[in-house]
Amino acid sequence: MTDPLALDPVLSPEERSRLPYHDPDLSHEERYDAFVEHVHAGRKVEARDWMPDEYRNGVLRFVEMHANSELMGVLPEREWIMRAPTLKRKLALTAKVQDEVGHAQLLYRVAEDLGKPREQMLQDLLDGKTKFHNVFHYPTRSWGDVGIIAWLVDAAAIVAQQALRESSYGPYSRTMKKICWEESVHIMHGRDVIVTMMSGTHTQRGMVQEALDRWWGPLMQMHGPRSDRSKDRDLFWRIKAKTSEELRQEFLSIYVPRIRELGLEIPDPVLHYDEGAGRWEYSEPDWNELRTVVTGHGPMSQERLEFRRLHHAESAWVRATVLAAPVAAAA
Amino acid sequence: MTATPAERRVTRASAVPDVPAFDTAGLDAPVREALAELLLTMADDEFVLGFWDSEWTGIAPMLEEDVAFSSLAQDELGHARVLYEMLAQLTGGDADAIAFGRPVDGYRHCRLLDHPRTDWAFSVARRWLYDTADAVRLGALRRSSFAPLAEVVAKIRREETYHLMHMDVWLRRLAGGGEEPRRRLEDALAKLWPDALSPFAPLAGEHALLEAGILGQPMAELAERHLAQATATLAGLGIALAGGRVTGSPPSTVDGRDRAVPAESFRWLWNEFTMVHRSEEGATW
Repeated sequence: MTDPLALDPVLSPEERSRLPYHDPDLSHEERYDAFVEHVHAGRKVEARDWMPDEYRNGVLRFVEMHANSELMGVLPEREWIMRAPTLKRKLALTAKVQDEVGHAQLLYRVAEDLGKPREQMLQDLLDGKTKFHNVFHYPTRSWGDVGIIAWLVDAAAIVAQQALRESSYGPYSRTMKKICWEESVHIMHGRDVIVTMMSGTHTQRGMVQEALDRWWGPLMQMHGPRSDRSKDRDLFWRIKAKTSEELRQEFLSIYVPRIRELGLEIPDPVLHYDEGAGRWEYSEPDWNELRTVVTGHGPMSQERLEFRRLHHAESAWVRATVLAAPVAAAA
Repeated sequence: MTATPAERRVTRASAVPDVPAFDTAGLDAPVREALAELLLTMADDEFVLGFWDSEWTGIAPMLEEDVAFSSLAQDELGHARVLYEMLAQLTGGDADAIAFGRPVDGYRHCRLLDHPRTDWAFSVARRWLYDTADAVRLGALRRSSFAPLAEVVAKIRREETYHLMHMDVWLRRLAGGGEEPRRRLEDALAKLWPDALSPFAPLAGEHALLEAGILGQPMAELAERHLAQATATLAGLGIALAGGRVTGSPPSTVDGRDRAVPAESFRWLWNEFTMVHRSEEGATW
């Protein structure tokens, strides 16, 4: 893997201090304008830079939700680590889920630098004050789900994540390079699980199709409703680089042929590529379902949060022990 | 640059390659049978422990420890895999069939691993007891006359050294961490202590292994060594094993791997880990 820092040289503190928005003689408006110009020129913002509150809060909210999603995304998959049917699959799935926990850790670190302690972020997640991605509010029913999640949910995610490597917030963009590299391995693992099952028995093929039927709706909702590019503040600040619809089109372009190639049927009779318009047409995703689910009313939202609350409370004593001042062991 | 965790894992996975090819023609039937028993018990220990470790995935007390316990699980599973593969080569079976295809009462893991995950202190106490015992057992195999085993053991020992270091830090932290962590640790040790020597349950055909130089010392001798070392470390932390809180039945190796019926926690575990495997007869996953 290429060293991310080699691609994005971080300026020395002295050079950074000379960036125009760090000039204390400028008015707030002048600094704000200089900051916007810096970001719009495609340059990076670092954790200790001066930044407008709107930018700081925007990045924090975006990264915190991403971190929450990585952490909550562990729960639907963790029970299948126990159930993995071969030694090789168990090793692969254990490593994959470990990656997701690692991503949560990295992303909470990025968010922490913007001023919100990790413990507070975890508490807000447990209290339902912050959100996580829609796909992690659904149940998993079979080994087919393990393949579909690792292949297609991670594929839909990586389409968005690859665009985030260009984020204006330097620590986030660098973290995304590492995360994308690992996610691409997950997709290979997921595809291998699916290909093996599709080459297997009638029951196995049915298991995959049934899983795809259940996951297609949430997958199409995952990137969110179409939005007005000019009104999207995350785009304005270059926190993200692409609109929801751009991401969805990209996902469909890459994955519809790959899904069909395996003999799977996508449960949307409308789905086709319109050559004239140069875009995929599809049945309108259920945006009410998306809103209901991400506000904590999905089929597994409360159960998963309750599970996490329970374990967070049960292990509070361990965190208290580690964070306390060291006490000499009894002689 | 520093390797990413994913890259490190790739390196680590390839550090335990497939079993070196070997010829079983030179092994007498009794030696072969006893060797199969040794490999099965070791593999089952690592396999079952790996499951208890991965039960912490997603819910460990801290994200850092979540990642660490997942690495432990992957190491143990990797060890189990290489040992099952060696066994499969010895007996003409298949590693996955051995790992996933036995009835619930066909597993030979030691009693120390029959307890459910329980709390963090319990996991630390069990892992520490197991890792220290395993270090003694692996030490008795590192000069094994059965070269493929000696080779694999050398690789396993390199990883187990780090497990032991990790667990030793936690043991000391809980022992010296104040009233609650210490009480929890002592409760866990008290519960586990009767099974502390179960990894050294005598093996059927142990004599054959000793005579052939496959196993360096008798299990009974290894058990004594482990008992002395563990007792000394715990005594150094003020945890008295006789007359203190951590008493209960004295540890014994007798029936360390034999049970009239499988433990309830293992029945649950077995149902989970064979669920998909059992769901479609003869399917490839």
